[in-house]
Amino acid sequence: MSEMWINMGPQHPMTHGLWNLRVHIDGEMVLDVDPEMGYLHRGIEKISEDRHYNEVVTLMDRCCYVAGLAWEHLYILSAEQALAIRPPERAEWIRMMSEEFQRLGSHIMWYAAFVQDIGLMSPFLYGMRDRDLILDLFQSYTGARMTYEYMRVGGVRNDLPNGFTDRARKVCDWLIDRFVEYDRLCLGSDIFHKRCDGLGTMSEKDCVAYGVTGPMLRSAGSRRDLRKDRPYSAYDRVEFDVATADGADVTARYLVRMEEMRQSVRIIRQALDWLDRHPGPVMAARVPRWLGAPYAPIGNEGYLLKRNYPKGLGLSAIEEPHGEAQAYTVNDGGEHPYRVKFRSPVFANISAAKKYLVGYRVADIPPIMGSVDVCVGECDR
Amino acid sequence: MAITLLSVAITISQAILGAIGSVFPPPIRGAVTNGNTIDGLAALIFAAILLLASMLNTIVLIWWERKLLGRFMDRRGAMHVGYAGLLQNFADGLKLFRKDTVKPREADTLGFWSGPTAYMVTSLIIFAILPISTGWNSGSLPLSLLLALAVFSFAPLFIFVSAWSSNNKYSLIGGMRSAAQMIAYEVPILLAVVAVVLVSGSFDLQTIVLEQTNYWYWVPLFLALVVFVAGMLAEMERIPFDLPEAEAELVEGWNTEYGGMMFAFFMLTDYLRALLGSFLIVLLFLGGWTMPSWVPAAATSFPLAGIFWFMLKVYIVFTIFVWIRASLPRVRTDQLLRVGWNRMIPLALLSVVLAALLVTVKCLPVLGCIPTLGG
Repeated sequence: MSEMWINMGPQHPMTHGLWNLRVHIDGEMVLDVDPEMGYLHRGIEKISEDRHYNEVVTLMDRCCYVAGLAWEHLYILSAEQALAIRPPERAEWIRMMSEEFQRLGSHIMWYAAFVQDIGLMSPFLYGMRDRDLILDLFQSYTGARMTYEYMRVGGVRNDLPNGFTDRARKVCDWLIDRFVEYDRLCLGSDIFHKRCDGLGTMSEKDCVAYGVTGPMLRSAGSRRDLRKDRPYSAYDRVEFDVATADGADVTARYLVRMEEMRQSVRIIRQALDWLDRHPGPVMAARVPRWLGAPYAPIGNEGYLLKRNYPKGLGLSAIEEPHGEAQAYTVNDGGEHPYRVKFRSPVFANISAAKKYLVGYRVADIPPIMGSVDVCVGECDR
Repeated sequence: MAITLLSVAITISQAILGAIGSVFPPPIRGAVTNGNTIDGLAALIFAAILLLASMLNTIVLIWWERKLLGRFMDRRGAMHVGYAGLLQNFADGLKLFRKDTVKPREADTLGFWSGPTAYMVTSLIIFAILPISTGWNSGSLPLSLLLALAVFSFAPLFIFVSAWSSNNKYSLIGGMRSAAQMIAYEVPILLAVVAVVLVSGSFDLQTIVLEQTNYWYWVPLFLALVVFVAGMLAEMERIPFDLPEAEAELVEGWNTEYGGMMFAFFMLTDYLRALLGSFLIVLLFLGGWTMPSWVPAAATSFPLAGIFWFMLKVYIVFTIFVWIRASLPRVRTDQLLRVGWNRMIPLALLSVVLAALLVTVKCLPVLGCIPTLGG
């Protein structure tokens, strides 16, 4: 069999989304790869320029469908900075708790998809089963399981329902036990180590050069975590450790994500305790009226014309489940943002594919790409 | 004369041909009811019964796997068609039967159509060779084990033919992998079988089963059993050795381009081969249809008791395969081949040596003697 190019994608089980990995192979060896993105481009940044500040939140849910609340959080932080609005403290704690639950949901989803890539069938469904509990919690306070539309400029849409913290604690307890089971299914298997150890390595230096962030960077020994380095929301008021590993390979990324999930549960437990002790408003008192009424009353479109609101810029960066995401919002005094720009960690992580895929085998591509945790929605936007 | 499947087929054939012949005048009646015609139709009926039984079992096997996998994964499996989803696979099969079969324009016509057909037919032939109980076989074949394994090893050829003629890169890679894997694991399987043959002194499966009256071979030949089961897993292309159709990287491997009934052929044949593998394990290592002497006579003497116990063992063996599938990840091609050539063959050779030792010793302390050697 001579050398040839094969297209892994756009419809291929490895891609976990809609993108194309062109692979140059010689027998089973990978000689070269060429990732192609853009199949899922929906022009979210451009659409945002035609939406109210609060309406952009609905687009954020569609950025990454497994980490919707994290992306809402990212955008809201930059929009609040651009509009110079400060949310009440309780809203910030709720947002932080939501982001951590979202990280748990996203990482469990990653676990399910990743084990499927190396041929493990049962843990895939265990992951989906456990993620459902988190979705139930989201449904109980945002009303939706997938596209939440929960956060608002100046706070969050509504407070947590009665008894939420107790239910959330129960879910946390359940999940902590399940993580032990996850580890036993993967790390306890020799075949898992044979498939994953020393695979897809990328050194810390390379990660920095290619802009690779998140669990991939921390698996290479780095301690960079925006929640610690540039704390936002209430992250400076909770205790947690940055999960790191040294292998820089697929197993190390697995270990980092599993540890991150445990740390997320730790953060959530502290947040729940705080929320129990501190009732209060979840929306800022002085939010401009036009922000609170996102839809134009019929026959009164003039209502939506330009305001004399102070101009401003907003730049936010959060540690999203996939890596470091950034948002840049320009407020030129209108009711729509003049420009919204996002930095997706997945885009950078995929772009470096040549660095961590070449030289391995075709059969290694699914575990390596699985360990990258691709979410094409936020990559293409 | 004991009732066997063949005698039943001959009786049916005689009845049918007698009824047909009675309509016609004597010269034609004589031609219709003569011995050759009766034997010919009996062979056809025999084959039809075998086909029906093996297909029925295959479909039940798929149902059993789906239900078991469901339980392993904290769900229920098929539930809606028939009692506990028992008819779900029949419905699926009917759906596939009604679907159009598409051939890629650039695919090689002869190879594309004949590959799956030959794959299925060669797997079905083996059912005619394997004895399930004393009555259920096509007579005594002195080399039935050798014949069964020889036909069993046709598969890589037909898989490769259909993969190559699909004109698809994924199919080709899958076909290459499949051929390499099956050839690599053919050797340890045969060596493990040599261990059994050494101890039983026969290539006839019926004799091998009857030789296990004192003890089943899995106890003294445990190493050979391990090698045989691992090799069979690779031959059946089941997890952890299902890389030819590793869906994560190869979409569906060598059957990527096949749809509709052709896909159903592949799917059915995969399970047919799983069934065959379980059959062989039961026949070679688990005493076939016989039960140990401490089992009460009532449990082994009711009608069709042999078939009952045989199928029970087959399903238990298959359950272990499903368990393996539910809990192990998939290995990589080079690792699989390395295990095959570097580990399995030495282990298989060791098991042959152990079998030779057993033949020399003749009797084991607790288990007893080899019937033909130790008396």
